[in-house]
Amino acid sequence: MEVLQLIVNGLMAGTILAVPAIGLTAIFAVLRFTNFALASHMTIGAFAGFVANVTFGLPAVASLAFAFLIAGLVGVISDELVLKPFRRSGFITTAIGSIALTIALENLVRFIFGNQLRGYDLPIQRDWSFSGIRVSPQQVENFVVAVIVMAMLFAFLAFTRTGKSMRAVADNPMLAAIKGINANVVARLVSFVAMGLAGLGGMLIGLDTTIDPLIGFKTILQIFAAAVVGGLGSIPGAVVGALVVGVGEELSLLVLSPAYRTAVGFIAILIVLTFRPRGILGQRAY
Amino acid sequence: MLKTTRRKVLKGAAALATTAALPKGAYAQGEPIKIGILTPLTGAGGNDGPRMLKAMTAVFEEVNKQGGVLGRKIETVVEDDQTNPEAAVRAARKLIEVNKVPMILGTWASAVTAAVAPVCWESKTFLMTVSGADSITLLPHQGFLIRTQPTSKLQATAHGEFLWAQGGRKVAIIGIQAPFAMANKEHLEATLKPKGGEIVSHIIYEKDKPTYRSEIDQMMRGKPDYIYTNGYAPDTVVLLRDMFRAGINLPKFAQSYAVPQPTLDTIPAEVSANVFTGQPSADIESPAYKLAAARIGEKEPDGYVSQATDWASLAVLTIAKAKAVSGVAMKDNVRKICQGSGQKVYSAVEGLKVLAEGKEINYEGASGPCDFTDIGDILGCRFRYMHVVKGKLEFLKLV
Repeated sequence: MEVLQLIVNGLMAGTILAVPAIGLTAIFAVLRFTNFALASHMTIGAFAGFVANVTFGLPAVASLAFAFLIAGLVGVISDELVLKPFRRSGFITTAIGSIALTIALENLVRFIFGNQLRGYDLPIQRDWSFSGIRVSPQQVENFVVAVIVMAMLFAFLAFTRTGKSMRAVADNPMLAAIKGINANVVARLVSFVAMGLAGLGGMLIGLDTTIDPLIGFKTILQIFAAAVVGGLGSIPGAVVGALVVGVGEELSLLVLSPAYRTAVGFIAILIVLTFRPRGILGQRAY
Repeated sequence: MLKTTRRKVLKGAAALATTAALPKGAYAQGEPIKIGILTPLTGAGGNDGPRMLKAMTAVFEEVNKQGGVLGRKIETVVEDDQTNPEAAVRAARKLIEVNKVPMILGTWASAVTAAVAPVCWESKTFLMTVSGADSITLLPHQGFLIRTQPTSKLQATAHGEFLWAQGGRKVAIIGIQAPFAMANKEHLEATLKPKGGEIVSHIIYEKDKPTYRSEIDQMMRGKPDYIYTNGYAPDTVVLLRDMFRAGINLPKFAQSYAVPQPTLDTIPAEVSANVFTGQPSADIESPAYKLAAARIGEKEPDGYVSQATDWASLAVLTIAKAKAVSGVAMKDNVRKICQGSGQKVYSAVEGLKVLAEGKEINYEGASGPCDFTDIGDILGCRFRYMHVVKGKLEFLKLV
């Protein structure tokens, strides 16, 4: 029973991690660098959702949509103004530039909203219990939102012309250029969707906890671990990686003190990369 | 138009070299005394750090208005420790190596102080802190550290007495991974066990996790009747939410810094029901406390603000007593102005006047008497307990 409860807890935690992890991996697939600015876009999404929910009084789902939109827009602007010029200098410069960008954006949020903890204006419900297994309604809602968003993303990539263009650029940028796909448009689109997902993920985590300017920074390592374990560049891989990290962390409690939980994600990276250097599902985008 | 020539550059370099070679005392009188402030302006201590900074600044401004100390104004150099040991060490090095401060006031989290203290004693920089972990003053700090916060032992013993008085017999501890975690458990156990109480579970969790559901499940296996939380605000809020969701209605104790009113305001009132908080209390009846309250325009400054007030006052008075500005002078003279049989004074300005008359002083602070042991601990203090009622902190008792 205990194991089952831990698995349920892990799946819930992993699904939420999966949303921003998809964003991180999508950017890597198309633009070929690890965008650590994802952390600040999670923060921006969490605060955009806060404004929508607390200031404008919007319900949770509408606030989540607002979080996606604002984080996505900031993502496009910051990529265009800051990271795009870096890309000419290579992967490492751009990744380091993204760390600098994330710190700058987090501090901008701190400047505007201050440093104190904040919470959404939503009631907290007691857990549901099914034959001794407890599930939080909030976590189920988060789980459902995450699954719907991921399903929409997969459908977008599989069935729309734009989605196919994104996959084409991810798989073979040169061939995609010869075919007349505008790499700039795809870059903007992927930045919008990926950072929108980061913003959504930031608010989903905030719904379960509280929000402060460091909300993204605190989880970025776990998200990075999830994306790498699944196969950096593979969108289904990000989901698998997030679930592995989420469930792995919970199951580790059977043998380890909770004080070592984070180590599990990184031990998972070591094990997976030893046997599958490209992650569980490899690096194919889709 | 200014023109840079080889001759000008050489002259400038020579002037610079001469200035650098001058002993400290040869600087023109009136050059400001730089004091390093390293409080958490962000991170888990972000609620307390800015208020502590404000309290210190208010004391220095008051002193500066009266002409400063040793004929020099006080100038603060402020850095954010981010409640993060790595960032704090970087900031401390900058304060010491670039700004050349003789002392640093303000570290808050025990893990931060444990990281910053060696940087300080190695460079003979004096450090004042509110960190409570027993291990802090047991470090080989050679006298370059004092703290105005009671030790974990003093605190946990007082908390144990409180829990017992509240009816806590089977206590579960759930706390963050921190230097004070194990010590707190031992001291709570040592207080409860002789009375017939026991610690039924002890969970140490990692910070910054979005949920602690599994940790709470583990804790509840001990079937406690009272829960002692031992974390910081961000993680304690997650704990309270998860405990509410799990239907746990037991009384819960938390350190006051883990559930300040602004944090309580972020969660529904039913989530914080049955929460009690405790903190080392300021000496609310002392004249120093009243002066501190008036100085910063607050009705009831808390323990941290009071301690920060005392650091600033101790710094100024020690400099005046030593007639020197250095970490060594601080170490050698701080106890000469705050304990002993000198005339009692309650503020830096008052103390400066008495010292100027050639008399000995004994500074009695806003946080307490400010009497320190050889290793830098305070000798004792009061504790203030609060109860959360409908989401608001209400005074319960002072012990």
